[in-house]
Amino acid sequence: MLTLSLRSFGVRKLRVALTLIAVALGVALISGTYILTDTINRSFDTIFTTAAKGVDVSITPRDAIDDATQDGIAVTTIPASFLAEVERQPGVAKAVGTIDTANVALFTADGDRIGGSGGAPTQLSSDTPPPFSAITYEEGRAPTGMGEMAVLEQTAESEGLKIGDRLKVVGAGPQTELELVGIARFGGVSSIGGFTLIVTSLEQAQALADQPDAYSSILVAADPDVTPGELRDRLRQLPSPTPVNVRTGQQQADQNTADIREALGFLTTALLVFAGIALFVGAFIIFNTFSITVAQRMREFALLRTLGASRRQVMGQVIFEGLIIGLVGSILGLLLGLALAPGLRGLFNAIGADLPSEGTVVEPRTIIVSLVVGTLVTLASGLAPAIRATRVPPVAALREGAVLPRGRGARFITPSGAILALGGVAALAAGLFGGAGIELVGLGAGLVFIGTALLSPKLVPPLAGAIGRMFPGVVGRLARENSVRQPGRTAVTASALVVGVTLVAFVSIFAQGLKATIAEAVDTAARPGTLIVQNTAMGVPLPAAVAGGLERVDGVTSVASVRFSVSRVEGVGRTAVTSVSPTLPDVFDTRWAQGDNELLRDLGRDHAVVTDRWADDHGVEVGDELALTTPTNERLRLRVTGITDDDSGLFAPVTVSNELAQEAFGERQDAIVFAGTSPDEEAAVKARVDRLLEQQFPLAEALTVQEFKDQQAGQVNQILALFYVLLSLSVIVSLFGIVNTLVLSIYERTRELGMLRAIGTSRRQVRRMIRYEAVITALIGATMGIVLGLVFGVAVTVALEDEGLVLSIPVGQLVVLLVLGGLAGVLAAIAPARRASRLDVLQSLAYE
Amino acid sequence: MTNAPIVSATDLVRRYGEGEAAVTALAGVTVAFAQGEYAAIMGPSGSGKSTLMHCLAGLDRPTSGSVVVDGVELAHLDDRRLTALRRDKIGFIFQAFNLLPVLTAEENILLPLSIAGRRPDREWFEQLVATVGLGDRLDHRPSELSGGQQQRVAVARALVSRPAVVFADEPTGNLDSKASADVLELLRTSVDELGQTVIMVTHDQDAADVADRIVTLTDGRIVEDRRTQAAVA
Ligand SMILES: Nc1ncnc2c1ncn2[C@@H]1O[C@H](COP(=O)(O)OP(=O)(O)O)[C@@H](O)[C@H]1O
Ligand SMILES: [Mg+2]
Repeated sequence: MLTLSLRSFGVRKLRVALTLIAVALGVALISGTYILTDTINRSFDTIFTTAAKGVDVSITPRDAIDDATQDGIAVTTIPASFLAEVERQPGVAKAVGTIDTANVALFTADGDRIGGSGGAPTQLSSDTPPPFSAITYEEGRAPTGMGEMAVLEQTAESEGLKIGDRLKVVGAGPQTELELVGIARFGGVSSIGGFTLIVTSLEQAQALADQPDAYSSILVAADPDVTPGELRDRLRQLPSPTPVNVRTGQQQADQNTADIREALGFLTTALLVFAGIALFVGAFIIFNTFSITVAQRMREFALLRTLGASRRQVMGQVIFEGLIIGLVGSILGLLLGLALAPGLRGLFNAIGADLPSEGTVVEPRTIIVSLVVGTLVTLASGLAPAIRATRVPPVAALREGAVLPRGRGARFITPSGAILALGGVAALAAGLFGGAGIELVGLGAGLVFIGTALLSPKLVPPLAGAIGRMFPGVVGRLARENSVRQPGRTAVTASALVVGVTLVAFVSIFAQGLKATIAEAVDTAARPGTLIVQNTAMGVPLPAAVAGGLERVDGVTSVASVRFSVSRVEGVGRTAVTSVSPTLPDVFDTRWAQGDNELLRDLGRDHAVVTDRWADDHGVEVGDELALTTPTNERLRLRVTGITDDDSGLFAPVTVSNELAQEAFGERQDAIVFAGTSPDEEAAVKARVDRLLEQQFPLAEALTVQEFKDQQAGQVNQILALFYVLLSLSVIVSLFGIVNTLVLSIYERTRELGMLRAIGTSRRQVRRMIRYEAVITALIGATMGIVLGLVFGVAVTVALEDEGLVLSIPVGQLVVLLVLGGLAGVLAAIAPARRASRLDVLQSLAYE
Repeated sequence: MTNAPIVSATDLVRRYGEGEAAVTALAGVTVAFAQGEYAAIMGPSGSGKSTLMHCLAGLDRPTSGSVVVDGVELAHLDDRRLTALRRDKIGFIFQAFNLLPVLTAEENILLPLSIAGRRPDREWFEQLVATVGLGDRLDHRPSELSGGQQQRVAVARALVSRPAVVFADEPTGNLDSKASADVLELLRTSVDELGQTVIMVTHDQDAADVADRIVTLTDGRIVEDRRTQAAVA
């Protein structure tokens, strides 16, 4: 049996190759994802561990909410006075404070920004003098005193910086010109992804960060006779003015790695979902290929049966072939994943998520999961065709043109498709509108999809008829007829494409809705003429001086700022907090479920407003008291005076005054500043604002309402592009499905093609016929996918209407998607069409 | 019956393979067929009948020698021109019918014209359909037709473009005797009444006897070339 299987692989080289590709592509995405994320994790692990060398104990600030840090940067700081306390402890050989901040930008002497505004962040870190060695110097020396700095090797290289160059650095404090005295490494590496790292002495860093008496962390080296653990325990006893975490150097490195791992967990999951989708698409193709080859090899099986092979043996052979194809395909996929991992990384670089990845890490888990999943999917997809193979009656070997008996379940396909689709719609509706949860939405979408796939053999003939009408002449007619000859086969081939197209259509509808929602929310909320000022580095706040500066600009009628913080609300837990200036209503029109804009003017120290959704979820009403703990461990009782109904995303669940945020939350910096102008003066005022920002706050940028909307839409588009690229992988897999089906049906129709050629059909005409067939199949898939995508998109949008999501259908994009679907067909047809047109006429005619 | 030849071959040699294993299917055949002739090519299995037909019909290229169809020397034609020549000047009838299962009988008959992008001559089509006797079966698919009916569709298809010559390779090989007689009769009619030239490969003596002339091959050579009773009659 083994030799027979291998023998028949030899005969069916091309078919086997195409099936292998379908398995391999899906598996490649899985292994590529694992390899990439493992490599990134390992790189961070190495960097942090190396950086922690010499650090016996590390003291980091802890907010009173919990241990959370944001983006690896401490939420708050440690008062400088605490360092002196630490130094005095027995067993402490050396202790230094550090400054680490992302609120910084680097410019050349001519004022050109280094390390871009979007994308990867810039960070300022103070030097770590011996025995600490997080930062080491490859060239030059460590910056000391004022006026000196160092950058990472990678930055120096890519920007062409040399020792002795003069650069400008802007942080929270005044802009400063520094001399480059060192080229550094961090944690032993020349670059941490796309990070731009600026290293200065501690005093210089404190000046740049405008943090004269606070540190981001304290590093401690122990005396030789004290272990890190002992020293840690000793330092934990030390009362500190603000909450701190005291960890050994190794613990801190592990903690940093764990934080990164957690942050990247989302990435891993997202990538694996896309891999799963591609593999699911692959399953359709494997199923189709096995079905077709089983049908084509009916006589072979029948012959085996006449020669005395049992049904079990025939089935065994088909399953065995599935096993081999699955295993080989998975191994190929695993190898392909090695090549794909850097590509995926490039993808994330392209949207600014530049991450370090040194070397290539292939964990045993990667190999096991890839091989097991790939093989199982192949086996599962090949099972139904294998069972059908056993039904071949031995007499079929003797009869020409006998057809494979229909499976016993065949007549249930259409009814069960209908039931699944309807059940899916019901689940979808229950999930979306009945509040039954997101799981039901996913289940419903899956059921609708499978139901549609089962129904699709019935949909293929009318769709093919309608689409095929585009293609003229007898060639078009033949293509149309050929595509409905085996509606089931065309349906499965098209369904593979449906998966990708549905998701692309859905995502583009959802994103379009999102953009429309943002635009609408911004338009209704921001008063005409309002300028929006924010940090060019995303998520980094602005020094309070920006708002002060804006107030003095001629033509600015009102300035309001918004800050973000967190709290622990009694009975609820960690809750995000927004704080606003009393002037916010001048520039920003909030929608209210209860109350009005004036409430924001007198939030004072005792009032808060909450969002309607949060109020609903936690049963909070106007007049209730909220008991909350701030990051600086203050306990507050605030009375709820109003409930917002806001779609702009500006309001976190709880909103307080800036005054309170500053005093009780320690939040001194603004996330966004609004500057009101009278609309007819907007342009002139903006020019003045731009000049002020350029001179004094180069980190900040002012945007008009329109520019802000465009920027937000740009961010949505960037994510959208990432989705498209990842989904395109499953579309590519489905293209192989079209190629596969075409090749197999050409093989079946060899004699017909020979006859057509004999009676004078040109090679071009043959190619065109195959191309039309592919385009018809592809367009069937694209049409069904777009319709399903529309259904899902509209359903989800309607369900999220309460959240303010607006339905906006990107008609142009959907048309483009349809056209691309057709082009995909053309692409898939190239090789099969060439093959068909090159068939030797005489051999084809003699073919049996 | 002394018209100029419509198909002629001179010193036709066709060898398959190289060196030791080479097989000579045609070992120097010179033959000519006149317009309006009904010729049968006979001979034992493996004697080169099909090979001769394929070379004459532009489906295969001879190793040496020349073939002229309707005044055109085939050796000079590239694949594109050869295909066009087959389309415009040659009709084919195969042993295995070779109809397209997805097309109706009528569409199958009109296929050569459709491929050429030519409008069918309705009158000629009607006459053809009447001759082959398929009037009420025109919108049936091949799977709904008997073998004899299918082969009659194939005959009509071969004649529809009024080719210079119709080649038939064992056209009755898959038919019972009644259906065979019908098809042979049909070919006879096409020669007598429609003025068609037909060259038919067969190893059935009865089938050959319907023809005007019988060319007999053995081992790739013509060993006999004679007129039949039918021609004399
Ligand atoms: N494609 C081919 N390759 C090799 N030998 C061939 C090929 N076609 C025919 N032959 C050989 O050429 C000879 C003549 O074949 P053919 O013309 O088919 O004979 P017939 O039709 O009279 O039975 C035979 O010996 C056959 O084996
Ligand atoms: Mg023969």
